[in-house]
Amino acid sequence: MTMYQFINTILIGITSGAIYSLMATALVLVWRSARVVNFAQAGQALLSTYIGYEFIQRFHSFWLALLLAMIAGAAVAALIDATFMRTLFRRAGHGPIAGVAPIIATLGLLGLIRSLLGLIVGGKDARISPPVSNIGFTVSGHTLALSPLKLLIIGSVLTLMLVLSLIFQRTNVGLALRASAYSPEIARLAGVRVDGIRTLGWALAGAAGAAAGMLQTPDGNGALSPDSLEFSLLLVFGFIAAVIGGLESLVGAVVGGLLLGLVLAFVLTYISGSLVFITAFGVLIVVLLVKPGGLIGSRRGRRA
Amino acid sequence: MVRDGVAVRKFMGSYFGRLSFFILLGFLLFLASNRVDELRVYQGATVAMYVVAIASLILLTGYSGQVSLGHGALLAIGGYSAALARNHFSAPIWICFGVAIVATALAGAVLGTAAARLSGPYLAGSTLALAVGLPSIANQFHILGGEQGLLFDVGAPPARLGADFTQYKWYFWIAALVALIAIWWLQNILRSRFGRTWRAVRSNEVAAELAGIHVGKSKTLVFTVSSGLAGLAGALLAMTIGTVSPSAFPLTLSFALLTGAVLSGVTTLSGVMIGALTLVVTPEIADAISNRFATSENVTTNLPGLLVSALLILVVLLVPNGPVEQFRTLRTRKRANTHQ
Amino acid sequence: MIGLNRSRLLIASTVLATAGLLISSVPAQAFSPHSEIGVTSSSIKLGVTLPMTGAASPGYNKVPSAIEAYFDYVNANGGVNGRKITLVVKDDQYVPTLAVAKTNELILKDRVFALLAPLGTANVKAVASSVNPGRRGIPTLFVNTGFSGFGIKKGYPTTFTILPSYIVEAKIMAQYISETFPGKKIGLLYQDDDFGDDALAGFKQAGLTFTVKVPYASGSQGVAGVPATWIQKLSAANVDVVVLFGVSSATGAALGTAAVMKYTPKWVLGSVGGDATTIKALGVPAGVLYGATGASFLPATTDSSDEYIKLFTSINAKYNNNAVFDNNVLVGMNTAFVTVQALAAAGKNLTRKGLISAIEKKGAKFFSAGLVPLNFSASSHVGYSGYWFGTYGPTGDLKPDGGAYTVYTTDSGTGAVVKSTYKRPAMPANGLPTQS
Repeated sequence: MTMYQFINTILIGITSGAIYSLMATALVLVWRSARVVNFAQAGQALLSTYIGYEFIQRFHSFWLALLLAMIAGAAVAALIDATFMRTLFRRAGHGPIAGVAPIIATLGLLGLIRSLLGLIVGGKDARISPPVSNIGFTVSGHTLALSPLKLLIIGSVLTLMLVLSLIFQRTNVGLALRASAYSPEIARLAGVRVDGIRTLGWALAGAAGAAAGMLQTPDGNGALSPDSLEFSLLLVFGFIAAVIGGLESLVGAVVGGLLLGLVLAFVLTYISGSLVFITAFGVLIVVLLVKPGGLIGSRRGRRA
Repeated sequence: MVRDGVAVRKFMGSYFGRLSFFILLGFLLFLASNRVDELRVYQGATVAMYVVAIASLILLTGYSGQVSLGHGALLAIGGYSAALARNHFSAPIWICFGVAIVATALAGAVLGTAAARLSGPYLAGSTLALAVGLPSIANQFHILGGEQGLLFDVGAPPARLGADFTQYKWYFWIAALVALIAIWWLQNILRSRFGRTWRAVRSNEVAAELAGIHVGKSKTLVFTVSSGLAGLAGALLAMTIGTVSPSAFPLTLSFALLTGAVLSGVTTLSGVMIGALTLVVTPEIADAISNRFATSENVTTNLPGLLVSALLILVVLLVPNGPVEQFRTLRTRKRANTHQ
Repeated sequence: MIGLNRSRLLIASTVLATAGLLISSVPAQAFSPHSEIGVTSSSIKLGVTLPMTGAASPGYNKVPSAIEAYFDYVNANGGVNGRKITLVVKDDQYVPTLAVAKTNELILKDRVFALLAPLGTANVKAVASSVNPGRRGIPTLFVNTGFSGFGIKKGYPTTFTILPSYIVEAKIMAQYISETFPGKKIGLLYQDDDFGDDALAGFKQAGLTFTVKVPYASGSQGVAGVPATWIQKLSAANVDVVVLFGVSSATGAALGTAAVMKYTPKWVLGSVGGDATTIKALGVPAGVLYGATGASFLPATTDSSDEYIKLFTSINAKYNNNAVFDNNVLVGMNTAFVTVQALAAAGKNLTRKGLISAIEKKGAKFFSAGLVPLNFSASSHVGYSGYWFGTYGPTGDLKPDGGAYTVYTTDSGTGAVVKSTYKRPAMPANGLPTQS
């Protein structure tokens, strides 16, 4: 029995960590390309998931809806960067609040998206049911904390990571993305259209956030609401995962998410169920104090 | 005319000028508190609380370039320490406010030491995580009273003020006096050597470092002072609602304070009233709008959030340094033009 | 130079602000000193603050319209002593600061006669301390929380509770479990705060011991992966019966996760988290409730043989847009039903003082849908103090075991749990208890 408990704790850690990883990936993508921690990511994910829900109603296919929601999420994110963030950097890109203006602006955006969603779809019943079975597999009479749905989530995270790393490592666009992240000035001198590349970074993040929302919702209770607690917590846990991974690295985001998931699963199972938030905050503070560059961060550390 | 203006400005720039200004302002508020009805007096106390909290954020953001998304957590530390001092040691309220300031400043010094090593987004995210985890901390320690929280009773107004003197007027007097003293003190600090150092760090860290300023220490000090003020605001908040409990410091409070600071303009204290008043007035405006035009419940419940977020975004986009600074820049430009 | 300008602007902005405060002040409304605030010869104004939005709102935000629906029904039938009742609803988002601010608006701006059905222990406590309806003599009727402290008259002189306290519920639940599942291993999932502490106190007093106790931090049910760890621990402890003493969202998360982990103990649900439609609205299929045990002090919402349920269902259809008739609607209407009697009992010359003494004098005899008596008296401001247990059907309706309600009662102190012999009197004609 205890062995199964141990195995299940690991499975719970990995599957919930996979969801944190997706959000962390979205945050890292924006951070790398624009040096902004995008607090609106939770709102964008929520909006994309609502769009995905509408597509499910229309086409009755989760897969098509997932793809369309990711495209919509990318489009919304690109739009935000190309209009809103660009204006912001032009107007508040220097001066005393240059460093915090993006944080404040994305926070404002989060509030705006949520209250607009509340105005339009508030009080309506929206639900996404799992596309594949979410009933756990059984091994010699024991039910595992692993179901086809969980496998799908892990598979999606892996696929997304594979696609992203192919883009980053094997394409010219990826080279430009990496160059702009490393040094926008030099990239610009080398002829990279830095603005366009940054917008692309936002778009990729928007797609990853949309995937996180579309996969988390049926994995949880399936219900969607504009003031969803789940999405706020997803942002906070995604941020912690991203920081564990160094905020710069995609591999770091995945490792950070899995690590956070595992630590939480073990603390909750073997110590106390009420320590979720204290543990998460503790992990964040320990990483920041002991290894501020993150476990897989670049050596440049935490400069803005 | 111009000459008079210069004289007035010269007087206002002096130490006694500022002191007399704050005394005059206090007198005006005293008169106001006798003229308006009880609801306005209560809202006035809330405005005073917001003034202190927003000033704390303005100091943090405008003078060290850091931002806190979980300032509510610092207010909570202040509120809880004031309540504990009151309930366990029957401390007089002034001592309770002092305890709130010291306890929160201490916590701030610890956080600030970590924060000085981190750039904006890290501190922002960490404070966010702290604010999210706050309720479960309160529930882990029984002395903090769990979900229902602790009572914080500053007592009835002194009998000599008369039988008609309401509780809320008493709250307002205390809060307004505390806010006036806090802002007056902060103004003076900002004009002192410390203020100059902080401003130097704000405008150019490298240059400040070259001039022999320890940037890390300076940032930690700003965070500590800012936390002390936040603790004071927390004690004022606890006074106006008579209790402290985890749910009194939700994320929405932290976001609202940040919004208030941005609306006020984070580069100067002068606009602090703008943000504080906006936070109190917006829900009333939203109420009035939805009562007049809309019947849908969706509109009524989402309008305040929509107004505040839209205002925040507009201010960041259009007047990123705040309306006061913008006005000042415009005037300087205009004056330069007329002098040509 | 900058400093000089700053001072000037500071003057400008603060003087403006002061002027704003003065101008915006509404002159106190003229009212005759002889009549009570919020009461005219043709109207009575009541006010409620509760979460209409936010994470705590699902379910509870259906209560105000149910209260209003019953008031509309009474108003359409002549009102109370010729007065029509109106209800002002304010959203406090479950935040004490907002609850205080909104209650102040109710009292000072809307000038309500009494406060009705406020929600949330921290909120009611903050309002009691800051707004202090007790000192102002403003009645706070039928607080919608199970915290036992609000029934203590000394601390809350104008407050009346209606729900049985969490301690009462836990004591009765313990008795029920020991009788129904003797010798079985019991597990518990509870919220790690005062709500859970009250429950633990009640279980302890009744002598029920748990094989495993799983606490959860309020709000953590929304974190991916967390509910799975609860189920994991419960399942590893090999218990036969699991008590879920949490809020609806946690109960829903536990049941939903248990279903996918194929964990099927005998479930016993606390009343706070046991409303089927709220759980369903949270995305949990009703099927997972099938066969679980639940508790209530009102008749089952589907019990069409019950005269109160019949009345409330028809009022719901006519005055409440035919909303889903669930426990929140039932609680709202029943609260309104008791409120109307209290107002009627206070007589033609309606005053706040008169209302409180009317409830103290006649409250124990008030009609209500409750299957346990109300305990109001000069020394007690406690409403119901009993529960019956039943089983959820396939569509999530709670039905009494064996077809008849077996009601137990007890108190929040050390009193024993006893089987109630209370016979609910027949409902007043047409459900209009407007004559005192």
